Amino acid sequence: MLRYVLRRLVMLVGIVFIISVGSFYLIHLLPGDPATVILGTGASPANRAILYKQLGLNKPIIEQYFVWIGNVLHGNLGTSFISQTSVASTIRAAYPIDLELIFLSQVLAFAAAIPLAMRSARKPNGLLDRLLSAGSFTLLSIPPFIVIVLLVLIVSIKLGIANTGPSSFVSFASNWRVNLTSLALPSITLATASFVLYFRVLRSDMIATLQEEFITMARSKGLSQRRIMWRHAFRPSSVALLGTAGVNIGGLLAGGFVVQYLLGIPGLGYTLISAIASSDYLLVQGIVLVVSVGVVLINFFFDFLTSLVDPRISRE
Amino acid sequence: MSERLLEVTDLRTTFRTVTGAVPAVGGVSFDLHGNETLGIVGESGSGKTVLARTIMGLQPRTNVEVTGSVLLNGHQVVGASERTMRTMWATEVAMVFQDPMTSLNPVMRIGRQIDETLRVRLGMDRHAARARAIELLTMVGIPSAQSRYRAYPTELSGGMRQRVVIATALACSPKLIIADEPTTGLDVTIQAQILNLLDSLKEQLSMSVILITHDLGVVATRATRIIVMYAGQIVEMGDTRDVFFHHRMPYTRALLDSSPKVTNAPHTRLAVIPGRPPNLSTPQPGCAFAPRCAYATERCHVEAPTLVDASAPGHRFACWNPLPETSDREAR
Amino acid sequence: MSDLLDQSPGIEPLREQRLGPLFWICVGWLTLNVLGAIFANVLPLVNPLYQNYIVINAGPSLHHLFGTDDLGRDILSRVVFGSRVSLAVGSGAMLIGFGIGMPLGMLAAYRRGRLDSILTAVMYVLLAFPAIIAVIAVISFWTPRTLVKIIVVIGLASVPLVYRVIRSATLAVATKDYVTAAKVQGSTDRRILFRELLPNIAPIAVSFLLIGVATVVTLEGALAFLGLSVNPPTPSWGNMINESRTVMAQNPWLVIFPSLALCLFLLCLNFIGDRLRSYFDVTEVKL
Repeated sequence: MLRYVLRRLVMLVGIVFIISVGSFYLIHLLPGDPATVILGTGASPANRAILYKQLGLNKPIIEQYFVWIGNVLHGNLGTSFISQTSVASTIRAAYPIDLELIFLSQVLAFAAAIPLAMRSARKPNGLLDRLLSAGSFTLLSIPPFIVIVLLVLIVSIKLGIANTGPSSFVSFASNWRVNLTSLALPSITLATASFVLYFRVLRSDMIATLQEEFITMARSKGLSQRRIMWRHAFRPSSVALLGTAGVNIGGLLAGGFVVQYLLGIPGLGYTLISAIASSDYLLVQGIVLVVSVGVVLINFFFDFLTSLVDPRISRE
Repeated sequence: MSERLLEVTDLRTTFRTVTGAVPAVGGVSFDLHGNETLGIVGESGSGKTVLARTIMGLQPRTNVEVTGSVLLNGHQVVGASERTMRTMWATEVAMVFQDPMTSLNPVMRIGRQIDETLRVRLGMDRHAARARAIELLTMVGIPSAQSRYRAYPTELSGGMRQRVVIATALACSPKLIIADEPTTGLDVTIQAQILNLLDSLKEQLSMSVILITHDLGVVATRATRIIVMYAGQIVEMGDTRDVFFHHRMPYTRALLDSSPKVTNAPHTRLAVIPGRPPNLSTPQPGCAFAPRCAYATERCHVEAPTLVDASAPGHRFACWNPLPETSDREAR
Repeated sequence: MSDLLDQSPGIEPLREQRLGPLFWICVGWLTLNVLGAIFANVLPLVNPLYQNYIVINAGPSLHHLFGTDDLGRDILSRVVFGSRVSLAVGSGAMLIGFGIGMPLGMLAAYRRGRLDSILTAVMYVLLAFPAIIAVIAVISFWTPRTLVKIIVVIGLASVPLVYRVIRSATLAVATKDYVTAAKVQGSTDRRILFRELLPNIAPIAVSFLLIGVATVVTLEGALAFLGLSVNPPTPSWGNMINESRTVMAQNPWLVIFPSLALCLFLLCLNFIGDRLRSYFDVTEVKL
């Protein structure tokens, strides 16, 4: 177990390193002199000097990386020349919203997917199973950006609920009622996409598990239906579910970008899209780095959970 | 003679499949007494596993039709609901499954798998159940049971796992244990150990055992009586001695001939039974064994024989052209 | 309650024998989409960029079957022309993804050894990289944005996924006895790869290809929705949905038609992919 975790940790460090190199190199994808593109043609020599120092632009590229990564490791992601604020502080203000969105949507998705998949799997091809399978298959083909648009069309406009903007967004701590109201639609949207995935994965794994000999053996011990379903069948069936959830986090972020963009919720997604629109490249770079590392960390966490659920995995 | 623990009367298990009805068990009747070991022998596909699961009431209900009667300690199993069966499983009858690689839950510690039965069925508390589970593990010969209690099935060898399965079956002291090919998936050296273990536990706990196998050698020294099955039917049954030495049914003879003997001279060619077991979904008239039988006559292909009594009490066989009765047939 | 666990493990339901009428309806719809996209120029459609200020935000009518948008452009025409972007990105990116990922995956699984270990390690590291973020990052920095760049970026990002699926599919086949037999008989590697392996992994590859196209089209839609795909006024389903947000309340058709077109397209792809998988009974390879 310890060896397994250590091995994964080494891999994690490797991946984070590659992400940092990738994020660093983004600046050099810009056509022409990065300083000119970032600052605009009419930039003052003083600003140019600051940027050159900040990015180490006059040094060779390998050295530039070390200058940059040194700053990053000290929590310095640079200062945006558009908004004149530090990239790190902008990210710090935005990321809790993303975490909250992910948390809410995942709670909703699991709360719906697990009981429904378990029920569905008890009678494969029964009425409930057919309905849910057909329904989830249809939902699979509706991208989140359409779900949110339709939800907004139906709920906000028809019911006359006001659209929130980035400035009117309230954090959970200051007023949780308003906060949850404004995050309801985005959470439901993200939950829908996750629900479809989780339901389908868990359902098919549950059906396979219920055919296993150890389920027959559990029955022959005189255990109740409920106990067999939850204690014996659920855990071995949930391995793929956890894997899917881990991989899904990346997709969830993209979905998060879309809903934040549409509803003006000032999370990382909204900030990223606005930064791209205003060519605030340092901010984009910072967000890409933070989000990528975040995704990899969440992935790692789910991997770890999976190995806890199924002792066979860490022993491979 | 103790009271009858199990009474099976004209038991039929029929699968409804896309290609038609398959009578996997076609009218089987037998009794089992307390503290007895009954061997059920047959080739794969002879219906012995289905028979075992039907007696257990474990047979799925969808697309399966079960008729006849199985009285287990006076309780009817045929047609009983899962809820009723739950009160009998583990306490009245328990099963040792064929493959210990698949019959234990891979993500549950083995101790938990044993003591959950104790807690759910006998209402033991956590500590009592744990103590009893460790006791059971020790009883089935698992060394350092205390620490193995926390092991996962994958950490144990096949033989050890089968011991765990046996311990689980024993947990609520059932009156009957049905062991379905309990040693097929194991190494030859382990097989004898597991069988001897079952045997000694049976004596120790005065249970009855139904031992299902394709290998007559397995039941030879352990069973008091033997049932030989072919194509879902009993073709010969009787005391072990009678079946081995006075068998009348050519199929029993063929089964005996096809297993190697220590007394065989080197390079003795092992007899094989020509042909394959019949396809049950396309029933033929007459004796099911007739197409493969050296003694078959016209009648065998037309009319199915029924079980008739042989000279020894309880010894019965189904054959139109039985082997002649001898004083002591040499089991070659 | 009592018989809920009753699933007969002994008697498996026969696998799907027919593809079913729904399958062919989906194939028909996709064909229609593809033909529409290819022949959009010669179809009797209004110029999708033509702004008719006399009919603005009109609902469906005989003259404009799907209505018009806030600039008086014909929605039907824009939906048909918009499918070009989705189809181009979907097919182009998958061409790149499969063009690189498939030979690598097959070769790695067939040769095994060092080549396999190195390639697989690299691909797994790349897989851990959140592809969507990478795509957004590269697209936003690699200016100016063009359709070709978008196709290339998405295509490259899909390589590790394609590699993993193809490799595990090939691995399942390559260990079969008939492949060993072919090797022992002295067949050339090329022959084995093309005659033995390729036909056997084709069903998996095709169904994954369809699902991959669906995923890529969804991704392009999301990018377009965020304003990160082809620039307006060129219509695409994603940017049509995006542009219509502001006038959604007055003219919901503007949202509904491109959304419907996209969802039906994705539904058909997913359905065909799913059906093919159960038809060819490829369960051992997880996508």
